[in-house]
This record gives sequence, structure tokens and C-alpha cells, in this order.
Amino acid sequence: MKRTRFALAALTALLISGGAFAADMNKVLRVTFNAPETGFDPAKVSDNYSNMVLENIFDPLITYDYLARPAKLIPNTIEAMPTISKDGLVYTFKLKKGIFFADDPAFGGKKRELVAEDYVYSLKRHLDPTVNSQWSFLAEGRFAGADELVAKAGKNALDYNTPIEGLKALDKYTLQITLTAPAFNYSYILAMPAFGAVAREVMEANAANTNAHPVGTGPYTLKEWKPGSKIVLEANPNYRKETFNFAPSKDAVDAGILKALKGKSVPVCGRVEVAIIEEEQPSWLAFVDKQIDVNRISQAALQEALVIDPKNPLNVKLADKYVQQGIQLQRIKDLEVTYTFFNMQDPVVGGEGKEKIALRRAIAMAFPRSETIAAIRRGQAVPVNYIVPEGVAGHNPGFKGAAEFNPAKANALLDQFGYKKGADGWRMQPNGKPLVIEYATGTSAIDKQWNEYWQKAFDSLKIKLTWKYGKWNELSKANHEGKLQMWGLAWGADYPDGENFMMLLYGKNAGDSNSAWFKNAAYDKLFEASLKLPDGSERNKLYDQMNKIAVAQQPWIFGDTRVRSWVAQPYVKGFKVHPILNANYWKFVDIQK
Amino acid sequence: MFAYVVRRIFQMIPTMFGVMLLLFILFNWVGGDPSYILAGKSLSDQMLANIRTQLGLDKSQLEQFLIFVRQVITLDFGTSWSTQQPVSSILAARVGPSVTLTGSIMFVSTTLSVLMASAVAYVRGSLTDRMVTLICTTAMSVSALVYIIAGQYWLAHKFGWFPVIGWSDSLATNFVTYLPLPVLLGVIVSLAPDLRFYRSCFVEEMNHDYVRTARAKGLSEPKIMLKHVMRNALIPVVTSIMMSLPYLLVGALLLETFFSIPGMGREVIMAVDKSDFPVIKAVTIYVALATMVFNLLADVVYKFIDPRVQLK
Repeated sequence: MKRTRFALAALTALLISGGAFAADMNKVLRVTFNAPETGFDPAKVSDNYSNMVLENIFDPLITYDYLARPAKLIPNTIEAMPTISKDGLVYTFKLKKGIFFADDPAFGGKKRELVAEDYVYSLKRHLDPTVNSQWSFLAEGRFAGADELVAKAGKNALDYNTPIEGLKALDKYTLQITLTAPAFNYSYILAMPAFGAVAREVMEANAANTNAHPVGTGPYTLKEWKPGSKIVLEANPNYRKETFNFAPSKDAVDAGILKALKGKSVPVCGRVEVAIIEEEQPSWLAFVDKQIDVNRISQAALQEALVIDPKNPLNVKLADKYVQQGIQLQRIKDLEVTYTFFNMQDPVVGGEGKEKIALRRAIAMAFPRSETIAAIRRGQAVPVNYIVPEGVAGHNPGFKGAAEFNPAKANALLDQFGYKKGADGWRMQPNGKPLVIEYATGTSAIDKQWNEYWQKAFDSLKIKLTWKYGKWNELSKANHEGKLQMWGLAWGADYPDGENFMMLLYGKNAGDSNSAWFKNAAYDKLFEASLKLPDGSERNKLYDQMNKIAVAQQPWIFGDTRVRSWVAQPYVKGFKVHPILNANYWKFVDIQK
Repeated sequence: MFAYVVRRIFQMIPTMFGVMLLLFILFNWVGGDPSYILAGKSLSDQMLANIRTQLGLDKSQLEQFLIFVRQVITLDFGTSWSTQQPVSSILAARVGPSVTLTGSIMFVSTTLSVLMASAVAYVRGSLTDRMVTLICTTAMSVSALVYIIAGQYWLAHKFGWFPVIGWSDSLATNFVTYLPLPVLLGVIVSLAPDLRFYRSCFVEEMNHDYVRTARAKGLSEPKIMLKHVMRNALIPVVTSIMMSLPYLLVGALLLETFFSIPGMGREVIMAVDKSDFPVIKAVTIYVALATMVFNLLADVVYKFIDPRVQLK
């Protein structure tokens, strides 16, 4: 009788605690990062690698379906997707009960349940002047009543105890977010790992070093961290009962994934080991020698790993020797645009005058984009023709915004608008002053490769080109101060909505995410109008008009979007690359050696 | 000798001050602004100002330098600007793997090169000597990167004699499994220049009159080499080793990067990339300190090797 009572008590305790620990601690998933992470405070980091760990430790309210393509939002810690008021201002979330944080001394030995107040606190942290959230641009000015609280804080810590209208816990499990302006895409933002729930007790107990003390409700906990070298995660014993139960998409791999994982409790692997391997050769060889289970094929290994069709480089297959070993290949087009911008406030390359537009257009027309895709990207990229890339809501595949490659026409255009050649053979400005353009660049080997093509383009136009060399932060600072003329950048989707890209030319973001300092009243008006609309044809029309303005004014030279190849060992079951989340497969995949 | 040592220790103070001043000027001149890294995607003026205030970059240059002086005196460099981790714990975690790697390379390379140098010096002018010189010259003309890339590809990947990458918390596992290949490659890289340098030291000593006198006295060749020549030839060897010792702390960047060894070399590069001044300061000061200490030690060791040396 006593034994039965004990068993019942233990079972009850397990249920109350929410613990549904099912991970096999003998199963270890080994992956690599090719650059060092920064830390694990969701508000303080924004690099991809730190985010990959955050995805597995913290729980945002909303997440993405593992299999659905294009990416589809699903409830995560909430019972159903939020209700959104008709005006797009008020979001209401009902949290699932019985979700618990991983154990931490800050909880005083008690199980700590996730409640609506945790999200209120976590969202407020992005507004705290002392936290310096790298995602503050997604929170500032968004929540009703928050601006006053932030203004009151000045440079000091935010007063978290003062309630605000925009972020409210209506009860223990109900969260209400009231926005200052309609935003139908805010669910996407709330699905970002940066907006996962942290516990106030843990943050306050470890205030001096929050990057090293991530405690969340996600599938894993941080077991070991050697910055820039090794990260070990272990399954969170308090993780809720969750089984793999996704509907298959049209992708061929989904049937195999369902066969391997359907009904399995997640996380499947008890341990995830991340090795930071910055060099391409060891990263690839470690995979081939089975020291690593899943890896992205580096540029250097592309020729060795893949058979690339020379007529259509995007048509690839795994090399025979790897096919025979059963290695799995998956390909994904990044949700990104790369571009080279002109500083629109610069007296030489900026401005809206016709001769200035002609100069920018000519430079765009002289740049051999197809050559750089073939040589530098090894054919593993597609040209960008629209500010919003493919796979992101608002993309228009029929829009061809990139300038045609035609150096002869480019030269004719310069001749037409008064950029005459001087006695030394180099062109001058229409006002007779020398025409010298400075291009900002890093000093790595890949930078040098790009620079050769830029040099070739400028030489073909007879425009003198000089280089401004610098580390990334130095160039970023110079650009923030409006001191650069041209620089090449990439923007990856934080969330798969067009607004995340169209904002890159919004005037109020000039010098910030709008690196071109583009200030165009018509564009800004259209952008502001688009914010009031949900994804759909009406908003797409506005996006098309904005793209036409960008094409006409040429603040950017459109670049390319990279296509990545991922490989997994044959014993890794259930692996599928996600377009937005980079590490959500960690909790799902099984290792069947 | 005691007075000499005390005097040298006092001389370290102005030297260290010079190092601090130079480092401070260099960082402020070309070090980059860390606030642009810490701000991430959000580059608002308010955010950048907040970060600069928190890092103390809004203080006057004099105030910032005085903080640096205090940090050097207390050897407490605060926390990393990049990762928020205490600098002391970062360095403590990194220095072990670096010293294990570079110390092993140095030990093996020095032992081999001293033995081989004395041997080829003994047969100087012979075909063996000329062949060794030729091989060393050829080996030195190849970049270290080539040895590392080729060694990793062939010895680890193709032949499977070693793991491609790896590091363990267990020293024994590291010595048995993960260290042999990087140490082998490190030794291959450093052996040739060491061998040539030490050979020339030995050859120079063997040309002195005292060697001829020793032979005339009828001493055996091993005795002449080990007792007389070796002792005198060791002075430049000790100098070379003592000068190298501080750099054990800095690690071997390429080997650490290619073999995923969590050493100081990678940490220093990350710190420079991210303008992480506290880490840069700490590493520079420790290396400067170690250089001065080992220089002093070298002088003291000279005295033991050759009692004729006077420390004044």
C-alpha cells in the first residue's frame, strides 16, 4: 500500500512539475558553428550563432512549423494563435499551463512555472536603456505607454514594476499586447528567439553576467560554454510533454522524416555538442570523418562535395562517394538580399539630380553580377531583383529591378550627362571637378576577390576608384556618420515579412538600417501606408511602387541571394533545414547509429 | 646579484608604463569603436551613447588611462566587452590549452634541434651537414599554413592516424589523442630555423681556441662537446628559449584554429576583431610582464651556465 502511495505521489509530482523527460542522454548531436557566438542573453545578442542556441533554450510565444514551406507560424507556449483586434493593435495570448523553467538556484529550489508576467518582463527588457537590446528597434515605440516609461528611465534601468498599457498580464496565463500602430506582422516578431521568455529572478540574480546564465523553458539547458570554442547543451528535465506531430509538406524528404519521428517525444537527443570551427577545411573534413553529424558545405568544399551542372549551377547533386555512404543533402535559398549602396547624402554619388542618378545607374550597369555569382559564389546564388527576397511575404518574382549589365550603354549614359573624360583619360564630374569614388571594404581574401570585380567595373567606366579599408565596426561607424560613399552589405530576414526588408530604405531609418541614407518622401509615404496593411495584394501593390522608386533612384545596386547546401550523416534521422530558424532541428532529429 | 635583480625589477616599472601608454594610444587610434558591434542591428544614437557610457568610453582620455593603470596594478581587467565574461576567467580557461600546445612543441623542437645541431656541427662541412642545411633551408621556405593544411588532410583525414579536430578537458586524452598531430606539425615548422640557428652557435664555439686546446690535452670528443662546447653554446640557446617563453601564453593561432584548440591565439584574434579592449589589455600586459620576467631570468641563468658572467 505504502509503495502504491509512493508511486502515485511520484507520478503526481512528475505531472505537476510538467516533467516529461524523454530524451536519450546517450544520443549526442554534434554540430559546428563557423564563427564564434557572443552569449545567450536574448536581448543582448543578435548574431546567428548565439541565436541558434537561444532557439533551443528559450521559448517565444509563437514558433514555426518544422515541415511547412513557406515558413508557417504555429503556437509555441500558447494554446492557440493570438487573437488580433480588427485594427491590428491588440494581440491577446492564452498561455499553456504547466510549462516550467529549467531549474536554477534563483528559484530557491522550487519549480517555476511560466506565466504571462514573464513575457511582459522579457519584452520590457528590450526597452531597458541599461540592457542595450540589439533588438530594441523591434520594440521601441511599439507598445502603448512604453515611451513614457523609457523616457522616465533616461540612462538608468527601466522601472519594471510600473505597469504599462501596451504590455499587460490580464491574468496568470493571459498576455495582452497593445501596439501604438497597427502591425499585422507582429506575430512574426514575437516568434524570434530574442523574444523568448526569461525569468526575472534569474536575470536579477545574474545581472553582471546574463550572457552566461540562460535559463528558459526550452528543450535544452546550457551545460558547458567555452566562448568561441565549445558549447554543450543537455536536455531540460523540466521540458513539457511534446511529441513530433507535424503534417507533411510537399517536400520529398517529409515522408522519411515522419516515418522516423512521428509520435516521438522531443527533444530526442539528450545532448547537443557545438564545436566552433572557423576554418573551412577542418570543418568539412571533420564532417567527412564523422566527427560532426550535420554541417553546411563551405565554399571551399563545394567542388569536392557536389557535382555541379556547368550549364545550370543550381542543379547539383551530391558526389557519388557521399551518395554511396548515405549522406543526406538539403538545399535552401537564404532569405536575404545582398546589395551595394550609394550614400544618397554624398555630394558626389548621392542626390536626386538626373546626372547623379545617371552616375549610379552607370556604375550598376558596369558591375558584372553574373560573373561574381559564377566565380565567387561558385554558381550557388541567384540575382536579386526586388528589395524583398523570395520566400518572404511581399516578394514579387515578376519584378526585374536590377540594372542590365551593359558597360557600353553605361559609358554612353555618363557621356550624355556630362561626365567627360579629362586629358588623363579619367572621367570628371559635370562641374569639371575630378571624379573619384571611394568604396569601403574589409581586408579578407574574399573582400579582395570582390574588389577585383569592382575595380574592373570602374575601370570600364574610366572612373577613378579608391578603397577605404577598415574593420566592420569602423566602417559601420563611418557610415553611421555619413562618411562612406559606397559599401556592400547583406541583410538576412529576422522574420519572413516584407516589412523587414522594405524598412531598409525608409527615411527615418537613415544611417541605421537604412545604410544608403535614402530619404524619399514618396517612398516613406508608401512605406507608412504599407505598415497599416496585412500581407496581401493591396500591400504588394505598395511594395511594387516602392521598388519602382528604388529602381528609379538607384540607392542600391542589387546583389544576390545565396543558396546553401547542408549535409547530414546517414544516421541522422528527421533532419530538415528551416528558412528562418537555424537550429530548430536540434530538438527533433534522432541519432540512429 | 640580489641588488642587480632588485634594480631590474624597478626598471620594469617605467617599461610597463611605456607599454601601457603605447597600447592605450594604439587602441584609441586604430582599435575601432566597440559600441558599433555591441549595438547589433540597431544603430540609434541613443543606443550607441548608452553603450559608450556603460563601457566608460564617454570619460576623458586621462580618466580612461587612469582606470587602465589601476587595472594593471590590481591585475583585474574587468569583464570582456564582447561576451560579458570576466577577463580573468577567459584567460584562465585559454592559457592552459595554449601552454600545453606551445610548451609541448617548444620542448620537443628544442630538444631535437639542440641534439641535431650539435651532431651536424660536429660533422660540419660533411655531406650530412650540407644536406641538413639544404633541407632546413627548403623547409623554412614553405609557409606554416601549407604544413598544417597538408598535414591535417593527409595524416588525419586520408590516413586516419589522428582525429581531424578536437580537444578534451582531460590532459591525458589531449596528450594521447588530440595533441600529437598539432605538435608534430608545430615541430616540423619550428625545427628547421631552430636547427640552423643552434648549429651556427655550436659551429662558432667549436672554432674557438679552447676546443683545440682541449683536443691537444687529449680529451675525448664527447667530453669536449658535452662539457665545454655545449656549455658555451647554450648561452644563445637559453636566450632564444627565454625570449620565446612569454609567447607560449599567446598560443599558436593557426594550429589552434585548424585543430579547434581553445587557446589564447583564437581569443586574441576574436578580441581584436571585436575591439574587445579589456581582453587585449590583459593579454598585452601579461605578455609584456612575462617578457620582462623571462629576460631577467635569462640573465640569472647565464650566471649559472657560465660563472664568468658578471651581473652588474
